[in-house]
Amino acid sequence: MDFPDFSLDSSLFEEVKKPKNDETYDSIIIGGGPAAMTAAVYASRKMMNISIITKDFGGQVRETSEIENWIGFQNINAKDLADSFEEHVKSFDVPICLNCNVLEVTIEDHIFKVLTDDGNGYSGHSVIFATGKRHRPLGIPGEKGLVGRGLAYCATCDAPFYKGKKVVVAGGGNSAFTTAMDLTKVGAELTMVNFIKGWQADESLQERVKSTGNTTLLDYYEFVRIEGKDKVTGVIIKDRDKGEEKKITADGVFVEIGLLPNSDPVKNLAELNTQGEVVVDCLCRTNVEGLFGAGDVTTVPHKQIVISAGEGAKAALSAYNYLINNNII
Amino acid sequence: MGMLKEEDRKKLIDLFKAIKNQVKIIFFTQEMECMYCSATHDVLEEISSISDKVALEVHDFVTDAELAKKYGVDKIPATILIGEKDYGIHFYGVPGGYEFNVLIQNILNIGKRDAELSNDVLAELNKVDQPVHLQVLISPT
Repeated sequence: MDFPDFSLDSSLFEEVKKPKNDETYDSIIIGGGPAAMTAAVYASRKMMNISIITKDFGGQVRETSEIENWIGFQNINAKDLADSFEEHVKSFDVPICLNCNVLEVTIEDHIFKVLTDDGNGYSGHSVIFATGKRHRPLGIPGEKGLVGRGLAYCATCDAPFYKGKKVVVAGGGNSAFTTAMDLTKVGAELTMVNFIKGWQADESLQERVKSTGNTTLLDYYEFVRIEGKDKVTGVIIKDRDKGEEKKITADGVFVEIGLLPNSDPVKNLAELNTQGEVVVDCLCRTNVEGLFGAGDVTTVPHKQIVISAGEGAKAALSAYNYLINNNII
Repeated sequence: MGMLKEEDRKKLIDLFKAIKNQVKIIFFTQEMECMYCSATHDVLEEISSISDKVALEVHDFVTDAELAKKYGVDKIPATILIGEKDYGIHFYGVPGGYEFNVLIQNILNIGKRDAELSNDVLAELNKVDQPVHLQVLISPT
């Protein structure tokens, strides 16, 4: 064995500039997924004075494993793609508030204020809101206390922990069946529970899961509660036809019942649709002048990485035009 | 020739400027140093020479057995990082390869008294109401 050397990996110690409270940025980009990062690249190339406020980099991209529809790559590792986005953004020396949760975006005298949970407030002439979506919870007893203790929302992250174990998957769409595929690969014994009558996933995905022979499909059931004190021991579900409850013993529960838009910070400012998505037009404009939306958090259909990236580019260019037209830059 | 490359030494001089509070490195070795004890000792000497905010205290695992016991050290080489209190950060074996970066990052975190964790993570950690013994086993290969 070679003797381990004492070398620094300089990239681990790069100091990222932090946004300043006393500066008014041309645009503040909120979010860290493909839409926000593409917006940052486009805005930087337009020499806009921007800052980024985000909880993390990569967004939902980091929750998947392989990506087969990012143009130019037949197959690319999701982490590698997210890392390359991050590296690209950081090459522009943009101030970044990382691990920052935005509480609210307000506007006064044409200046936006972005308030974060660490008590800071940042000002901008415009805002590009690209906060993406998060997993929809079941909203039943037992769920909150058992997250990470058998209750999971990300198969890519957690499936390997369930090798040979009993797992219940909540959901009947493509995400649920993709999760099922990940779990069957590690040899989990699966029960899939679908709330809506009829499975919504693509037939091909359903066939692949069914062909494993290790999956029980329960259609038209609702979750009543998740059982377990320190870790998941099972779930109680109810037959929506007969009203009968039954218990399924399980070591894990994976929830794949859709996504919720992270639009809370602008709910008192911008128009949202009934699903809580930020309403935008084809130029990524919201109903508030200077506030632009991009990616999964908006009403733009087909939540895809490539679409989010394109929307991020559009939002940055629209913000640029807004700043020019208002003689701000 | 030292254990550190000149470019890394310069980088550490720059990084350690951010250290505002004292960091103490307590190192346990023995009189006849093993290969890894010797290498670890040498690199810790170099690291501590870079900043007056980083001090190295070397102890003999055999003759200072009481102190080793106090820190729960049962094997060497053992490197313990202390700030205004003992955070329980112990490195056993040679902190080389990738772990060298972890060691430096830990020294910086203690020196800044900032774990650089998000409020969400800190809030979750604050819920831990009993002592937890975390051991991370790594291979330098």
